[in-house]
Amino acid sequence: MTLTATNDRNTVSDVQPTPGTGAAGLVAREVCAWFSGRLVLEGVTLAMPRSTVTALIGPSGCGKSTFLRILNRMHELVPGAQLAGSVELDGTDIYAGRLRATDTRRNIGMVFQKPNPFPAMSIYDNVLSGLKFSRISVSDRDALVEVSLTKAGLWNEVKNRMRELGGALSGGQQQRLCIARALAVEPRVLLMDEPCSALDPTSTARIEQTIADIADEVTVVIVTHNMQQAQRVSDVCAFFLAAENEPGRIIEAGPTDVIFGSPTDERTSDYVHGRFG
Amino acid sequence: MTTLAPTSSSTAAPPLPPTPRRIGAPLRPRDFGWADAGILAASLLSSFLLVWVVFYQVTLLSGIFGFLLCWYAAFLALYWVVTTQVVDRQAATDRTATVVVVTGAFLVLGIVAFIVGWVTWKGVGHLHTNLFVKDMSHFVPADRNVLHQIGVLHAIVGTVEQVGIAAAIGVPVAVTTAVFLNEVGGRGTRIVRTVVTAMSGLPSIVAGVFVYSILVETSVSRYSGFLASLALFILILPSVTRTTEEVLRIVPGGLREASLALGASEFRTVWSVVLPTARSGMITASLLGIAIAVGETAPLIFTSFGNNNMNVNPFHGAQAALPLVLYDFVRQPQGALIDLAYATAFILLALVLILFVLARVLGRQRSTSGALRARLRSVLRPSARSGGSENPSPVGGRAGRPPLEILTVSPNPKEPLLP
Ligand SMILES: Nc1ncnc2c1ncn2[C@@H]1O[C@H](COP(=O)(O)OP(=O)(O)OP(=O)(O)O)[C@@H](O)[C@H]1O
Ligand SMILES: [Mg+2]
Repeated sequence: MTLTATNDRNTVSDVQPTPGTGAAGLVAREVCAWFSGRLVLEGVTLAMPRSTVTALIGPSGCGKSTFLRILNRMHELVPGAQLAGSVELDGTDIYAGRLRATDTRRNIGMVFQKPNPFPAMSIYDNVLSGLKFSRISVSDRDALVEVSLTKAGLWNEVKNRMRELGGALSGGQQQRLCIARALAVEPRVLLMDEPCSALDPTSTARIEQTIADIADEVTVVIVTHNMQQAQRVSDVCAFFLAAENEPGRIIEAGPTDVIFGSPTDERTSDYVHGRFG
Repeated sequence: MTTLAPTSSSTAAPPLPPTPRRIGAPLRPRDFGWADAGILAASLLSSFLLVWVVFYQVTLLSGIFGFLLCWYAAFLALYWVVTTQVVDRQAATDRTATVVVVTGAFLVLGIVAFIVGWVTWKGVGHLHTNLFVKDMSHFVPADRNVLHQIGVLHAIVGTVEQVGIAAAIGVPVAVTTAVFLNEVGGRGTRIVRTVVTAMSGLPSIVAGVFVYSILVETSVSRYSGFLASLALFILILPSVTRTTEEVLRIVPGGLREASLALGASEFRTVWSVVLPTARSGMITASLLGIAIAVGETAPLIFTSFGNNNMNVNPFHGAQAALPLVLYDFVRQPQGALIDLAYATAFILLALVLILFVLARVLGRQRSTSGALRARLRSVLRPSARSGGSENPSPVGGRAGRPPLEILTVSPNPKEPLLP
């Protein structure tokens, strides 16, 4: 793994490595990614400010998921995957070796495109699974479960079914269970990779509401193919694009109303108005 | 090409008046009705007669086995031809294939039922209480009077201990190996997999001779039940490893990612997510291994040796085992001992059955810790109102049922279930 040195490295090293609490800002600098030696993402620099919702948009295969997975060190789990650049969580470089990968991932949670509750665990245990994995003890588990599920907008539907298995829910409910599970460990950033792509409009609206509700406590980065959704939920928006046989890059990033209202780049304008992609 | 009906007129035509719709008898095109059963029966009968004439009268062949084979072949051919005439070719092929598959299933079922039934029929009558409470210390093969005084308790104890120890070592080692092969991966994977595959071809007697030659012959150890466990361990390891590996492979990768993304270490991921998800399949894998071990005779001859006296210590001295006793009985010329052999065989079968049922019951309780916790809660807080999480009535639909019962029976259709 090659890591390019950034200028701020010296200032970064003075920062406490132990993560704090509450929403945190995330800054990616000159991030590049390879799969088996093939460059798929090049020079991505993006700031995701604290307590905002950042939407990553762009056509299929331009590297949005790859970028997202670099933000919480999931990319390195793919065999043959490499990366360069730095990602800073409130000033601490998560790739500098001061933070363990497991701690990083606990602070930067992730919700996947396909709902993946643990089928062998009950709904209740699913919500608490992150704490169990990290051996964190909580004084009032029931309260935490209720709070997490309420935040994810699922509490009323499942409060009497806590002991049923996680797989016994509908797809939309499963996805909200996954969000509750991710929120239960109190992450500082939540990454969401097309969380609504398998869901009906009602569940989608629910999840968008959830995103709006939690944005104070946790910085959200969401990948979406739905332009209206990006417009509805995000404060900041980044447009990725990969030309043929070239790695993906950020074409334009900025406040959502600017990206959708008066983008400077023609390709952005074409994309957000549905003229290609 | 000559008369093209004016299709456009149909769209322009006024909508049809609403005719009262009558719902006819529901049509089920793939149904297998009386007529089809008749064809089947007729084919069976006529092919029987045809083959009987040709086989016994014309060609003067003999032998029931050959007759059955010819009958079956003639039946299939006839059935296919008749169905082609009555329905069509596709249906004929379809139904003939169905018949073949069903025959196969019933054949297997029949063989198993026959073996179990035969052993039960021959064995149950000769069971007596002494069999379960005594050993064979007073056993004299020629003396008919002592036959009712002997028992096989020593062999039951021996088998349970030997197989138990073999499983206690074998299953964890096999699971660890499978986890290595499937979850860790890396350079060694290929070699380990090849070795494991090669091991599964090992004749069981070789496992016994192997343990014998490196431990007994070199005077490191004397005959003991534990040596038998080692030989059995060698035998069950490859089977359990390969089956467990297949089961682990079915666990969706998304679950591993979800766990890692929550901050779990790779060990925690395997331990808390992958293994529990694969649990029921892993129990089946272990059962298959244990089933192999229970019936093995050859490796025991060189390792636990056999013993007419009760020896409860598997680590010291020769020990009996059910297959060994069975083997001894069967070799005797007296009919009474053959009867005892059937009784012993029945006990062996019953032991395996008990084991299977036990493992299935254990496997069905999806999360022992979860169920235990639920039980504790319901004991500690009988009002069952801990955060609303244990209100049983909406779940079970029937009031008054204890919460634990509801928990254990709730089925999950989406869980990757394995046989
Ligand atoms: N595991 C992998 N191995 C090899 N190449 C990969 C792998 N995952 C992704 N890629 C490649 O990396 C590039 C970026 O993929 P990525 O999944 O990040 O795209 P995306 O923007 O998320 O697309 P989508 O919108 O379809 O999800 C693609 O060219 C893809 O083929
Ligand atoms: Mg993607």
